[in-house]
Amino acid sequence: MTKKPKRLTLLDILCLILVPAAMVLILFFTPTERVMGPVQKVFYFHVSAAWAGMLSFLLAAAAGAGYLITREQKWDWLSLSAIEVGLVFGLIAILSGMIWAQPIWNTWWVWDPRLTTTAIMELIYLAYFILRSSLDTIESRARLGAVYAIVSAATVPLTFFSIRLFRTIHPVVIAMGGSGGSAFNMTPRMLLAFFSSLFVFTLLLSDLVWHRYRLARLQAVNCGEGV
Amino acid sequence: MSAFRDYLSAVWNVLRKDIHVEWRGRQGVPVMLVFALLVVFLFNFALQLSPDLQAGLAAGLLWVSLALASTLGLNRSISLEQENKAMDGLLLAPVDRSAIYFGKVLSNFGFTFLVGLVLLPVFSLFYQQNMFKPLLVLVLVLGLGAYTSLGTLLAALSIQTRTRDVLLPVLLYPLALPILIAAVEASRGILAGQPITDYQSWLTFLLACNILFAAAGLMFFETILEE
Repeated sequence: MTKKPKRLTLLDILCLILVPAAMVLILFFTPTERVMGPVQKVFYFHVSAAWAGMLSFLLAAAAGAGYLITREQKWDWLSLSAIEVGLVFGLIAILSGMIWAQPIWNTWWVWDPRLTTTAIMELIYLAYFILRSSLDTIESRARLGAVYAIVSAATVPLTFFSIRLFRTIHPVVIAMGGSGGSAFNMTPRMLLAFFSSLFVFTLLLSDLVWHRYRLARLQAVNCGEGV
Repeated sequence: MSAFRDYLSAVWNVLRKDIHVEWRGRQGVPVMLVFALLVVFLFNFALQLSPDLQAGLAAGLLWVSLALASTLGLNRSISLEQENKAMDGLLLAPVDRSAIYFGKVLSNFGFTFLVGLVLLPVFSLFYQQNMFKPLLVLVLVLGLGAYTSLGTLLAALSIQTRTRDVLLPVLLYPLALPILIAAVEASRGILAGQPITDYQSWLTFLLACNILFAAAGLMFFETILEE
């Protein structure tokens, strides 16, 4: 068992301070949206969680590529950790979205493309764990898991693309502007809270993945096998 | 140039071998066909379809039955090689392993496409509309091409697991969803007699899926099969 790195402790403390801080920012600093009312405040953590989920799935694919190139176990631990944490963030995104949708769309769930594809993404990565658990050797788990993580991440852009093709009722808050730049339909205070939560969730993601990575390494060292 | 010709002849030989096996045994296409028809009947009873509803659902039913039926063929095409260690013989052949992949994709595509071609007139009878349209055949080619490219890759992956071929649907269906959505939307547009501009983007999307998943197979098939 290696000692917990100082930087990880620092990251822990940073997250413990910044996540509540972001919440305070959202609750008391941002204006209440005129049409939707207070429920719009779900948006900040909703988008941040979705962002963190996407990011960790991409990280898992990159780590998978790292494994296939170097064949070093540590990349597989990273890939596994990123997918596990990403699954939780994806679930948070879906659940928070449902809380928002109930008053705004008057339903918990619609078969809207973006909702459906996010749910499918969760299923894809659940299957990742089924795949791993039905493989016998550490090597094959790492190798086939890496291939699956990469192929799955290739469907993430398809997810995004399918929203543009479908007529969706999911709000597009960040629209690409005609003249190159992107336009945000938000006030400056909203923007500040939005980017703060994105930043905080990215920190939280790296903190959790780091912890999970250490756990995977510990399991591999102690039990003589990776999970 | 001759290296490329050798590669093509390797692909052709794998394909020819599969056609031979299918011709002598006739255990792939007929099973898929009967299964696809059974799915249609199951849906008909489970959903209590009224005649006016049926017409709109024909495109969706066609693709669902094809998607379910082709997993049988995909599994079989790989598990056949596992019997008597025929795969080892294939892998020993001094050719690039992606040639084996493309040969398998072509045979899987050919068999499922054949099933699709038989289903079209049957559906025309069942759902009282002419489904034998050239554009719909094009959608079959593009959709099944992408589906079998991905499916062959994942079948090779799932056969490595302890649960063998049971895993394939769990891995394949969520990843293949964008393909199915695009194929259904394009087919629906064609059957409703819409102008081609309405569903052209879906056809392009399917073409992109073909390229993407074939590239994935080219890159990863060898990695999956290495021991």
